[in-house]
Amino acid sequence: MKSKRRIAFSLLLVLILVGIAACMMVIGRGHTVYFDNKTLEDYNGQEYKAAHKVVVTVKGEEVAKLGKRERGMAVWIGQNFKMTLEVTQEKGDEPEVRTISLKLPYSVDGIVVNLPALLAGLPEDAWFSEFVPVETESVDEEVPGTGDEFGLDGGLGLEGDLGTGDIPVG
Amino acid sequence: MKKKNIPAGKKALELVRGNAVPIMFVIICAIFIPMAGFSPSYLLNEIITRMGRNLFLVLCLLFPIMAGMGLNFAMTLGAMGAEIAVILVADWQIWGIPGVVLSMILSIPFSALLGFICGTLQNMAKGREMITSYIINFFINGWYQLIVLYIMGSIIPIIHASIMLPRGYGIRNTVSLLNMRQCLDDLLAVRIGGVKIPVFTFILVGLMCLFIIWFRRTKLGQDMRAVGQDMDVARDAGINVDRTRIISVVMSTVCAGFGMVIYLQNIGNLPTYTGHSQIGMFCIAALLVGGASVEKASIGNAFLGVILFHLMFIVAPGAGAFITGDSMVGEYFRVFLSYGVIALALIMYEAKKRMAKSKAGRELAEAQKEKEAAE
Amino acid sequence: MSNKKKDYNLNSPSKFTDEMKTIPPARRLTAQEKTQMSPLQAMVASYGLPRLLITGFLLVLFILTPFVDVDLVTQITNIINRFSWNAVLVLAMVPMIHSGCGLNFGLPLAIICGLLGSTLSIQFGFTGPLSFVAAVVIATPFAILLGGGYGLLLNRIKGGEMMIATYVGFSVMSFFCMMWLLLPYSAPTMVYGLSASGLRPTISLDGFYNQVLAGFLEIDFGEIAGKLGISLGALEKLVIPTGSLLVFVLLAFLMWAFLHTKTGTAMTAVGSNPTFARAAGINVDRTRMLSVIMSTWLGAIGILIYQQGFGFIQLYNAPNNLTMPTVAAILIGGASVNKASISNVIIGTILFQGIVTMTPTVMNSAIHMDMSEVIRIIVSQGMILYALTRKVKGSK
Repeated sequence: MKSKRRIAFSLLLVLILVGIAACMMVIGRGHTVYFDNKTLEDYNGQEYKAAHKVVVTVKGEEVAKLGKRERGMAVWIGQNFKMTLEVTQEKGDEPEVRTISLKLPYSVDGIVVNLPALLAGLPEDAWFSEFVPVETESVDEEVPGTGDEFGLDGGLGLEGDLGTGDIPVG
Repeated sequence: MKKKNIPAGKKALELVRGNAVPIMFVIICAIFIPMAGFSPSYLLNEIITRMGRNLFLVLCLLFPIMAGMGLNFAMTLGAMGAEIAVILVADWQIWGIPGVVLSMILSIPFSALLGFICGTLQNMAKGREMITSYIINFFINGWYQLIVLYIMGSIIPIIHASIMLPRGYGIRNTVSLLNMRQCLDDLLAVRIGGVKIPVFTFILVGLMCLFIIWFRRTKLGQDMRAVGQDMDVARDAGINVDRTRIISVVMSTVCAGFGMVIYLQNIGNLPTYTGHSQIGMFCIAALLVGGASVEKASIGNAFLGVILFHLMFIVAPGAGAFITGDSMVGEYFRVFLSYGVIALALIMYEAKKRMAKSKAGRELAEAQKEKEAAE
Repeated sequence: MSNKKKDYNLNSPSKFTDEMKTIPPARRLTAQEKTQMSPLQAMVASYGLPRLLITGFLLVLFILTPFVDVDLVTQITNIINRFSWNAVLVLAMVPMIHSGCGLNFGLPLAIICGLLGSTLSIQFGFTGPLSFVAAVVIATPFAILLGGGYGLLLNRIKGGEMMIATYVGFSVMSFFCMMWLLLPYSAPTMVYGLSASGLRPTISLDGFYNQVLAGFLEIDFGEIAGKLGISLGALEKLVIPTGSLLVFVLLAFLMWAFLHTKTGTAMTAVGSNPTFARAAGINVDRTRMLSVIMSTWLGAIGILIYQQGFGFIQLYNAPNNLTMPTVAAILIGGASVNKASISNVIIGTILFQGIVTMTPTVMNSAIHMDMSEVIRIIVSQGMILYALTRKVKGSK
């Protein structure tokens, strides 16, 4: 009976681990949120003007101070995004402080938020867009494992994984 | 097991001999530190960072030593398992502490499988465990490269192009772990006079130490030590020797996987193809510098070893530049010391084993002679 | 008698090993009947599964060549060439395996001796073919000295040779990494240009002994065809480095002959059964020492031959890169941890170098994916692992 108990115990352990892992996958999902302080032209025939200055605070840390047509960004772990905006509509106005929570979609890495639309309380499709990273043609990286030619001219024809030359510091 | 009835003088001599390596390193460090000319706070900071980074990895070497399997050069397998887990987690964009926890959990099946393979092979090569584990390293490294370089992105889906090679499959030389960087270290971190102490990482290390101390007292731990003492006796006592040995390697590998995750979150990026290659060597060298031997190692050895070895590692290039005007000399010197200390420990171990063997043989012969005389 | 399972490779002097091990001295003569087994049968029996797989893989590669537009003759030339570079290094494994010292993972030590020979030869101003002779002459005392010390060490740690050899090799190599920087070398072809001290990682052998052996009596079918004014078709690309091969044949023959002398058989006896050997009045430690010195010297000569083919001296961490392939090669050839023969050396080197040469080109043309490095690592390390985990017959 001891072995049965042991199997049950290990199954339980595996289940707990899987549970924790699943939990982590949900709460640990990282997103990058971009804020655009940009005039939204012609949404249902209306125009939403960019504010003169917006200060974005996430988790008590000022992440961006946006003038007109500027973009800021913040990283956020989890789906319930919270930020505090300090909006100055026109130059000289008293700044207005607003706390905003957003639900971030799980599957999207980068989220662009249009602040004027968001502040005006428009529906999601007005302020939300997905951030698509520009394909930056990276510097030609040497493909590992293929850089070593084994022709008669180049290579040793050997593996040299122990090379002490490239010791990582640590 | 402590040997009793040894004369005090001999014991003291043995103590000095047993600690020859740490003493040597203390002397080397004492000479090198002024030459390198680093400020004490810099050195302290570096040492504490490196302790947080490496201690967990070094501690995982203790299990196979307990089971008499020598230095586990195949702890690299755990590091490879962890790297695969970390690549996947980075691709799924799980960040911060949840990312670290997920990487650790995800690394368990990989490390356990690799550890099982390793243990099984080592059981097939009893008496040659170390060289076998050393070769397993390279062998599994081949498979690791196959998976990471060819299968990831073509068969295993990889979502983000940012970690993939431009050709469309395979992982880049470096995977950025920026969003995971030092998240364990920063948790509860304390700063004392410009020295950052990663308290949480040290708590993890402490838990590992407690686990090792507790484990030594469990039935399995006792079995392991019995196997380490004498396999035949253990077998006669009804211990499943092969199974116990495999468990010790699996434990070591899994813990090495955790250690590697801690290591990587500290570094903040993953050198995909070189990250693990030197890990085993450095951890083993560090443990040996702390005064451990092939058949005996303690938690204290691990701590002392990490401090001394990494102190030497930090100051050697500077000292080399000071003496010869070429920092490369210092770099080669520290590599030489790392290899040298492992070679020395292995030589001392084998020589001792051989001495004990011949002594036992002599005693046996004498006993036989006495018996004959009595008859 | 369990010796039915043993392989009877007729070329193998290690046959003797098995008989010493399993057959009591009185019965040894009757074992002669075993030698009447047909060579073919013996070959198949001794071939072993991994070797069969590797040979099969290589054959598949050969068969594939015409279909993927790879020139077979060029490939064969490459294999012959690489064979000529590496064969002596692989041969260097034989004495130590015979005397029971296991696989020589300490090859970097031997290579260092060769490197000392080659760098000093250039430093002393030798040029042309003479520099090769000088390198051999200079390397020899180093090989005897370092090999002797190495042998002394290995005699004190019987049973743990392989692991210690590995790390002694590393230690010596990293020690010489410092030495290459610190020793007062000054030949302008070798040192860094700016600081005029410290050896460069790669030193060209042009003007010294580049191709000195390979060029000796070289058979270049293309040239012959040109001279005779006839066309040999694809064969024209075939070039045979006769000199290097001749040197290998000479050394291999000497090794074979040595293993059949009294000292040689004593060495085999030490490897297979030290207790028996001691009882027979053989000085075990001295025999082992001799084998280590021989291995070291052959390794030193081997690297010189490698250099003359490759055209460069490689310093610093380069010696390390040769260890695993060399060990893997002799194992692929059918040797085990305590048994090796000249035929193992030849077959192993051809198979291993065949794979090394063929995989990148064939794979690349066939699937546009160069997996050769990965395959090479898995094949060679797998082979070593197989040899280590095989139940070893006889003593440790």
